[in-house]
Amino acid sequence: MMVATTAFYVFAAITIAAAFMVIAARNPVHSVLYLILAFFNAAALFVLIGAEFLAMILVIVYVGAVAVLFMFVVMMLDINFTELREGVLQYLPIGALVGVILVVEVLLVVGGIAVGPLSPDVAAAPAPMSSDVENTRALGQLLYTQYIYFFQIAGLILLVAMIGAIVLTLRQREGVRKQSIAAQNARTREDAVELVDIKPGSGI
Amino acid sequence: MMTTMPDLSPLYAELFLAGAALVLLMLGVFRGEQSARSISGFAVIALIATAGLVLAGGGETVTTFGGSFISDQFAVYMKVVSLLGAAMILVISGPYMQAEKMDRFEYPVLILLATLGMCLMISANDLIALYMGLELQSLALYVIAAFKRNSQRSTEAGLKYFVLGALSSGMYLYGASMLYGFTGSVGFEGIAQSAAAAEVSGGVVIGLVFVAAALAFKISAVPFHMWTPDVYEGAPTPVTAFFAAAPKAAGVALVVRVMIDAFGTMGPQWQQIMIVVSILSMALGAFAAIGQTNIKRLMAYSSIGHMGYALVGLAAGTVEGITGVLVYMAIYVVMNGGVWVCILSMRRAEGMVENIDDLAGLAKNNPTMAFALAVLMFSLAGIPPMAGFFGKFYVFMAAVDAGLITLAVIGLVTSVVGAFYYIRIVKVIYMDEPAAAFDAPASGGMRVVLLGSTAFTILFVVAPSSLVEVAGKAAASLF
Amino acid sequence: MLELWNDLLWPLLWQVILILALTVGVLLYVAYAVYADRKIWAAVQLRRGPNVVGPFGLFQLFADFGKNLIKEVIVPAGVNKGIFFIAPMLTFVLAVVGWAVIPVADGMVVADLNVGILYIFAISSMGVYGIIMAGWASNSKYPFLGGMRAAAQMVSYEVSIGLVIVTVLMCVGSLNLTEIVYAQAEGVWFFIPLFPMFVVYFISLLAETNRPPFDLPESESELVAGYQVEYSSTPYLLFMIGEYINIVLLCSLCTVLFFGGWLPPLDIAPLNWIPGLVWFVLKTSFFFFLVSMVKAMVPRYRYDQLMRLGWKVFLPLSLLWVAITGGVLIAFDLLPDPVAVSAATGAGL
Repeated sequence: MMVATTAFYVFAAITIAAAFMVIAARNPVHSVLYLILAFFNAAALFVLIGAEFLAMILVIVYVGAVAVLFMFVVMMLDINFTELREGVLQYLPIGALVGVILVVEVLLVVGGIAVGPLSPDVAAAPAPMSSDVENTRALGQLLYTQYIYFFQIAGLILLVAMIGAIVLTLRQREGVRKQSIAAQNARTREDAVELVDIKPGSGI
Repeated sequence: MMTTMPDLSPLYAELFLAGAALVLLMLGVFRGEQSARSISGFAVIALIATAGLVLAGGGETVTTFGGSFISDQFAVYMKVVSLLGAAMILVISGPYMQAEKMDRFEYPVLILLATLGMCLMISANDLIALYMGLELQSLALYVIAAFKRNSQRSTEAGLKYFVLGALSSGMYLYGASMLYGFTGSVGFEGIAQSAAAAEVSGGVVIGLVFVAAALAFKISAVPFHMWTPDVYEGAPTPVTAFFAAAPKAAGVALVVRVMIDAFGTMGPQWQQIMIVVSILSMALGAFAAIGQTNIKRLMAYSSIGHMGYALVGLAAGTVEGITGVLVYMAIYVVMNGGVWVCILSMRRAEGMVENIDDLAGLAKNNPTMAFALAVLMFSLAGIPPMAGFFGKFYVFMAAVDAGLITLAVIGLVTSVVGAFYYIRIVKVIYMDEPAAAFDAPASGGMRVVLLGSTAFTILFVVAPSSLVEVAGKAAASLF
Repeated sequence: MLELWNDLLWPLLWQVILILALTVGVLLYVAYAVYADRKIWAAVQLRRGPNVVGPFGLFQLFADFGKNLIKEVIVPAGVNKGIFFIAPMLTFVLAVVGWAVIPVADGMVVADLNVGILYIFAISSMGVYGIIMAGWASNSKYPFLGGMRAAAQMVSYEVSIGLVIVTVLMCVGSLNLTEIVYAQAEGVWFFIPLFPMFVVYFISLLAETNRPPFDLPESESELVAGYQVEYSSTPYLLFMIGEYINIVLLCSLCTVLFFGGWLPPLDIAPLNWIPGLVWFVLKTSFFFFLVSMVKAMVPRYRYDQLMRLGWKVFLPLSLLWVAITGGVLIAFDLLPDPVAVSAATGAGL
C-alpha cells in the first residue's frame, strides 16, 4: 500500500509539473516533450488504479501517434512562439476567471453529490466491476454489446473527419511524375527493347 | 456469444442511409471525379428512399439500444422534413457546383452523412446519442462550409464555423456532465424522472442552461448567432442553402425533444430561456437584416428571425405550441428551397452575383422567376394568404393560448418590421431600373423545386389542416 | 525486520536480479547478433568480415565497445544539449524495457502483464522519440531529415503491425504473451493459418526498426548516417546497441506471435527434452538471420515506395485479414472460449 501511495504522489507530481512546463517552456519543442512526459505519467496513474488497458492505449494513441504528429508540425513550422506568447499577461485575468468559474462549478457538482439530495439512480450508477474480469475484457464486452450504437456512430464521425481532411487538402497537381507500378510490371521485352540493324556508314 | 442482437428495426432507414453513403463513397473513389454528377443523382434517390423507409416504418413509439434510440411520430415527421429538405438542396446545387468546378463526389457523400447525423439526433433519446448525432452532422457541415477551398472566404467560413461549433460542443458536454452528475442518468427518461422527483437542484438548472445554450448555437438563435452571417456569406451558395434548410429543422427538433422529453417537468425554468431567446432572435432578425445589401447575409438574418418565431411555439410548451413549431419548420424548409433556387440562378457571365440590387429588372428578364420570388418573399414575411402566414399564425395562437400574450405581440411587431426588407426585395425586382439579365438559369431540377415550393406556398391555404393534423399527431407523441 | 525483508525487500531484490539476468542475457546475445550480422553480410559479399580480434574475430565486438567508450564525446556547437543526450538514452532504455514482458521460456518472464502485447506496442511506439529528438537536437540538416523520415516511417508501419497483432489476438482471446504461446501449444503455430499476416509483420518489422531495405533515416548515400551524424563515442554506442536490441526484440515477438515461442516444433521425445529457452533462442536467431540476409540482398526502397507499401498495400491487406479472421472464427465457431468469458461477466443486452 505504501509503495502504491508513494508511486501515486510521484507520478501525480511529475504530471502536474510537466503540464505546467508545457505552457511555461520557452521552446515549443520542449513544450511538446513535456506534454509527452505528462501523458506518460498519466498513463502510469491509470496503471496504479488498475486500468492497464487505458494506460496502454493512452501511450499508444497519444504518445505514439498524436504527439509525434504534434512534434512534426512544431519542428517543421518555424513559428516564433515567444511572439505569440507576448499577449499572455493580457489574457491572464480572463483565463483565470474562466478557471475559477470551472473550479467552482466542479466543486458544486462534487459538493452537490456529497451533501445534496441524491436521486436513487445516482447511488446505483457506478457499478463496480467484478474483480475476476480483466478490464480489457470488460471494456470489450460493454463496448461491443451495450454501447455498439455509440461505437458505430463514432466510426462514422471518424470517417467524416477523414473525408474532410482529404477533401480540404488533397489536390491533383499537374505535371507530377507518378510511378505506375502496374505499367512498370506490364512492360515486356518487346515494348522496351528494339533491335535496329544499322548499315555501316548510314546512321539511324 | 450469449448476447442478443439489439432490435434494429426502428433504424432501418438510418442503416440504409449509412449504407448508401458508404457505397457512394466507394463508387466515387473508384470511379474518380467524373462520377460526381451520377453520385449526386444517386444521393438524391437515396435520401428520398430513406424518407420513404422512415414513413414505411410507421409511427409507433419504440426505443432500442437500451433506450438510446427512439422512433416515434415526432421523429418520423422531422426526419421526413430534414431528408426531403436535404434532397431538395442537393437537386438545386448541381449547376452551381459544375459552374464553379467544385462538382466533386465528396459533396453529396458529406451531405448524406450530415443528413444521417440529423436523423440520429432527431431520434436521440439520451445525451450521448444526441451528442454523437450532433457531431456527425456538424463535422460534415464544417467540411462543406470550407468546400470551396481556393476561396479565402469559404475557408474562413469553415474555420469560423468549426471553432465556434467546437466551443458550443464543449458547452454541451459540460452541461451534459452536470446533468449526469446531478440526475445520475444520461437517458432522457431518467433525467425527467429525477427532475420530477424532488425539488430540482441548482446543478440540473446549470446543466440545462449549458445544454440549451449549445443547442441555441446549433440553430443560430440569438445570443449565439454570431457565426451565422459570416458563415452564410462565405460558404458556397448551395452549402448556405443547405445550412438554412435541413440542419435548422433537425436542430429545432432536437431542442424540442430535449426540452419536452427530458425537462418536461421543468417547464418554468426553460420557458424563460426560450422566451428571451426567441424575443432576441426575432428582434435581431428583423432589425439587423434591414441594412444588408448581400442577399446571402440577408437570408442569414432572416433565418435567425425565423428560428425566433419557431421558438415561440416551444416557449408555449403545449401540444398546440409544438404543433405550431412542426408546421412552421416544414413550411420554412419548403419556402427556403424556392428562395435559394432564385439566389443560385443569380449568375452572370463574370460569375455569381450576390447583391440585392442585382435582382433589379428580374420582372422584365424572367417574369416567372420574379413572380415566384415575390410570392416566396411575401410568404417569408408572413403575409396572408401565403403559407408563411399560417406558420406564424399557429405559433402565435399557441403562445396566446398559453398566456404569453406579450411574446405574441412582440412577435407580431417584429414580423411587421421584418416584412419591410422582404418587401423591399419585391420592390427591387418589380420597380427598380433593370440591371443586366442573368444567364439562362435553372436546370430542370431547379425548376421543379422552384415550382413545387411556390405552388406549396400559394396553395397551402386551400387545405392547411392536412399538414396540421399530421404535425399535431407528431407533437402529441412527445407528451 | 524479517517481515520487512520477506514482504518488501526480497521481492524487490528478486525483481532486480531477474531484470539484471535478462538484461545481461539480452546484451550478450545482441553482441553476437551484431557479429553475426557483419559475418553474414560479409559472406554474401564474399568477404571475410571481422576475423582479427580473437578466434574468428569473436572478440571484435568487445574491442569496438571499448574503443567507443574511451573516445571523446563530441558535442557540436549549437546543439540542444539536454535533448541531445537524452535521445540516445531514451532509445536504449526503451529498447531494453520492452523485454520485460517477453516470455523467453515457460514461466521465464520478468513481468507477466495481462496486456503484455499492448505494452510492447506502446513501448515500441515511443521508440520514435529517441530518433526524432536526436534529429532535432543535433541542429544540423542531415540528422533533421533523418529524424523526420524515421518518424513518418515508424508511425506508418505501426498501423499495420497493430492490425497484425489484432488478428493474432482474435485467435487467442488474450493480450498476455504467455497465453498466446499456450494457445499455439493446443493448435498449430499461427504462421500457418495467418501466413499473409506473418509476411506483413516481418516486412513491417524491418521498416519499424529502420533496417535495410527501409533504412532511409540513416541511408549513408544521401544522409551520411541520418540522425546519428553528430553522435560519437558512448551516445553513438547507445544508439547502435538500442537499435539492435529493438531488432532482436521484434524478432522474438515474431517468435511468440507466429512461431510458438519456446515450444518445440513437434512435441515428441528428443525434441521436447531440449529446454524451451534453447528453442526460443534458436527461433529468434533464425529471424535475425533472415533480417541480415535481407540487408545483404535487397536494395534500398525509395521513400514514396516505402509509404505506398505501408499505406496502400499493408494497411488494406491487414484490415481485410482482420475481417476475414473474424468472419472465419465466427462462422466455424472457433472463437476462444466465449462461454467462460460471458459467464464470468454476465454481460449482455
